[in-house]
Parts: sequence; C-alpha cells; structure tokens
Amino acid sequence: MNEANVGTTDQLIVNMGPQHPSTHGVLRVALTLDGERVVSADPDIGYLHSSMEKIAERLDYRQYISYTDRFDYLGAMCNEWVFVRAVERLAGIEVTPRCEHIRLLMAELNRLASHLLYFGAMGIDTGATTVFLYCFRERELILDLFEWVSGQRLLYNFLRVGGLRNDLPDGWVEQCHAAMDALASRVDEYDTLLSENRIFIARTRGIGAITAEEALAYGFSGPCLRGCGVPYDLRRVDGYSLYPELDFEVCVEEGGDCLSRHMVRSRELRESIKIVRQVLARLPEGEVNVPVPRRLKVEPGEVYERIESPRGELGCYLVSDGSDKPWRMHWRAPSFYNLAPLDRLCRGHWMADMVAVIASTDIVLGDVDR
Amino acid sequence: MTTNTRQPQSAWALLADIVGGAASVIKGHVVTLRNWLRPKVTGQYPYRDPAKEWVPKPGYRGDFALIHDPERPGGLRCIACMACANVCPDKCIHIIGQGKGKERHPAAFDIDIGLCMYCWLCVEVCPVRAITLTPEYHNVAFTPQELIRDINDLKARGEGIAEPLLPVPIERSVLQPPTAKKKDVSEA
Ligand code: SF4
Ligand code: SF4
Repeated sequence: MNEANVGTTDQLIVNMGPQHPSTHGVLRVALTLDGERVVSADPDIGYLHSSMEKIAERLDYRQYISYTDRFDYLGAMCNEWVFVRAVERLAGIEVTPRCEHIRLLMAELNRLASHLLYFGAMGIDTGATTVFLYCFRERELILDLFEWVSGQRLLYNFLRVGGLRNDLPDGWVEQCHAAMDALASRVDEYDTLLSENRIFIARTRGIGAITAEEALAYGFSGPCLRGCGVPYDLRRVDGYSLYPELDFEVCVEEGGDCLSRHMVRSRELRESIKIVRQVLARLPEGEVNVPVPRRLKVEPGEVYERIESPRGELGCYLVSDGSDKPWRMHWRAPSFYNLAPLDRLCRGHWMADMVAVIASTDIVLGDVDR
Repeated sequence: MTTNTRQPQSAWALLADIVGGAASVIKGHVVTLRNWLRPKVTGQYPYRDPAKEWVPKPGYRGDFALIHDPERPGGLRCIACMACANVCPDKCIHIIGQGKGKERHPAAFDIDIGLCMYCWLCVEVCPVRAITLTPEYHNVAFTPQELIRDINDLKARGEGIAEPLLPVPIERSVLQPPTAKKKDVSEA
C-alpha cells in the first residue's frame, strides 16, 4: 500500500443477483460501489426471456391466451384482458355486458392481489417480515376466488375471445363480498405496520427520487408515475371498458421517491376494493359468451390496445395478415420501462437502499424479459 | 449527492423524534398482538389429519381423466379425433387411434403431465367432452416416467365422472352442452 492511497477507497464492482432474494426474480445488477455508496447500477436482464412474442406467431389466438398469463404472472388477468381486447377490436367482436363486468372485476381483483404481494415484498425487503405474512394471508382470499372461478390460482386462462371460460359459480359473488369486507378491515393494519412506521419511512423517504419530467422521459407508468405527481391513469385517461361509469379516485402522490410510490399503491388498494364493490352491485344477468368461430380468422390490419395493469401501461400491439395466427405481436411491458431508470434512481444512495428502490418499482422479471 | 444522514437538531426535536418513533413501533406491536389472537390459517402439508385435507373446488385443474362410455369399444367416450393432441400448445398428448367410423377409439392415450401447462384447451376442443381435468392435486413423482399418464391410468381416474368438471353447469361455459345438436360453433 503506498502512502497516497491511505484513507481512500477503490471502486468495487459487485454483482447483485441473479440469485439474490430481493431482486424479485432473476435480475442481475452490476453495481459499482464506492465503499457502501452506489456509483452506478447497471441492470442486466434477459434471464427469463422465453420468446413470448415469437411464440405468438405459431399459435392461434385461442392457444396464445394461456401464454399471456405467463409473463406478468402477478397480473395474469390483465394480460389476458388486453390480449383478448386487441383481438376483439381487430375482429370486430362485441362482448356481452355481463362478460365486460366480470372481466373488469377480475382485473381489479388481480390488481388487489398484485398490490398485496407488493406490500409483502416491500415489507420483507425493508426488514418487516410480519406485514409480508399478513398480506399473503389476505391475498389467499382473492386467490381462492380465482381458483373457484377459473380452476387455477395464478395462471388462469379464463378469458376467451368473445367471452369467458365460464360464468361465475353460484355463491361466488357472496364470497367476493365477504373477501372485500375482510380485506378492507385489514388494509389499515398494513398501513399501521408499514406505511406509518418510522423505520420504514426513514428507509424510503427521499430514496430513489425522480422528477416528473425525468419519469415521463423514461416511460414510467402506473403507480410509479403517479408517485411523481402525474395524474396519469389509463382507466381515466382512456376510459376504456366500464371505468368511466365507476366512481374511483386516481391516486397521486408528490415526491417521486420510494415512499410516494408505496403510498400510491396503499391508496389504490382501497380504491380497488371500492371498484369491486361497485361492480358486484351492478353485475347484470345474461349470457357471457358470444358465438365465435373455433378457428378465428381476423381481418388483416394492426391494432395497439392498452390497459392499466397493476404495474402500469400494459400494451399489446398486434399485426394480422388475415390468417388464424398473429403475424407479429409486441408487448409494451410496464416493468421493463419502470426498471430502465434504476441507475438514475440508485446513484448516490447506500447499497442497502437498492433493495427498497427495486421493491418500490414493483417489477416482475417475467414481464421485463418476456 | 443525496444522502439521508441525520442533520444536527435541538434536544427537544430529538426527544420528539424518539417519542414519535417509539409510538409508531408500539402501534405496530398492537396490530401484531391483535393478529396473534386471530385463528391460525396455515396448515401442515402433507396432512397428518385426513379431516383437514384441503379439498379444491370442482373444476380445479389438477390431473387428467378420460370419461367412460360403456357402450363404446374400449369403454371410453373418446373417438380418437386428435383435436386435443393438435390444439395442445405443448404437444404432450399422444394418441394412437384404432377402428373406423363409429368404432374408432384410442388404443393408446398418453399425457405427459410433466410437460402440460394445465391450460384446459384439450377439454375445451373435445367434440364429445371425453376428457377432463380433475381436482386431484397430489401429482408428485420421483421420476419423469411416473408423470406420464397412460390410457389405463386415465380410465381409472375417470371412474364416476359423467361430464367435464367445471365450477358451473356446462351450459354456462364455453363447452358445448350435451343437449346441443352436433354442430360446429363456426356455423352458429
Ligand atoms: S391442459 Fe393444455 S397443455 Fe395440458 S394436455 Fe391439455 S392442452 Fe395440453
Ligand atoms: S379431442 Fe376428445 S375425442 Fe378427440 S382425441 Fe381428444 S379426448 Fe378423444
């Protein structure tokens, strides 16, 4: 060691992941550290890449629905929904009112399940194990509902072009009401345990902050963007499906840091419960399926359909050449864009804050890599 | 460079900080205590007590079964039309058909559930509703070979099942109800 180096440190490159428990899947981040400070963070993705877009070109529209479940596996109903919406728009199919209501209901329940998992993961990543266990307990209520109606707990394959796999079973609506009542009484508990906890606030306030302009330039969407003070929610902006008729609030927080993103999701839990209750109250009777040819051929053309998934703007770009298979298919995966500014978010913070930043963007690596 | 190191503060502010922090932690512990008194929701698996065995809802997509029809050769309703084998995205159904016309039935019917993604498409496309998924979920095996269900196995699992299992009556699903005339949906 020579004299000039005493008291200074060299920069060190550390690989975080791909088998790191707090990277939410298989994400590798090449960190350049100066002591405990992050100098740069370079996310390396692709470990879960499975050619989801290419696979679509060899499967017909009905077969591909079960694949859409598998990239953002925490928001599977939303993925199915945007895909069938795209196909239906291209093929000019109108679904029945009951079907539309049930689809919206499923998407909101899925948002609840996804945000509950986010709460748990955020808790455990910042050192609060208890809230993780409680959130998973309540998430079970929603997964039970999904299991009953679709036969599976995570990868539902429930939506069909022109309808649904099946109608709601008898007694499902009552159980859904009961689950919402149970959940509504518990959301405050999570806030007491996590959002109002001094230690949690100290670990998230001012961490990973980004301004609204930068966030927009990076393509942020969903709760991450709303955490920067931009009231951009496709459910209101596009007003697709039945959302214009429903009463809910677009949750916006100023600040752009981990705490703001967290608070947006915390408030969205309550809003989603409100939406589910409204939809259950006005659920119309009737058929859920309209007749669709077994081998559906759609007109040549292209379509971009987008909805608000639990993670942000989920888009499905579909080009058809008139055959029964998509000619080209592209997904706008919200996690991919929400992960992009990781370097910008982490630079200058402690290494331990990385975990909070990654958790607060709520990425799903299956969605990033597809 | 943004940091969150504490700024020097007055003694009163520090005291308020300590008291506020302690209060938030105590409030959290009250919640934990309340939950401690609630009934336990977790259970042991495998179940020691058969009464506590988890029973999935009808229509749960667990394992496969072929539906019986004693009047047909082979005793199965399947007409070996290959629709399920063709639609399967993973190509994990292998069928060898036998006989002509009304006599056609499967001589071999293998499903590799190790490859299967439980999408339910095979049930959906079957023109005679001959295959179903059942709520049986104890699918663990020691070797991949044990995960291949052959025709005898599938027939045994179909004992007592009359129609594909769903959480709702068949009329309220995408499946063709048994009463409907044999008609392709495309003409509807
Ligand atoms: S459930 Fe899907 S993957 Fe499994 S055998 Fe049937 S069609 Fe194939
Ligand atoms: S689709 Fe039905 S009838 Fe045809 S081979 Fe499969 S199980 Fe048999």
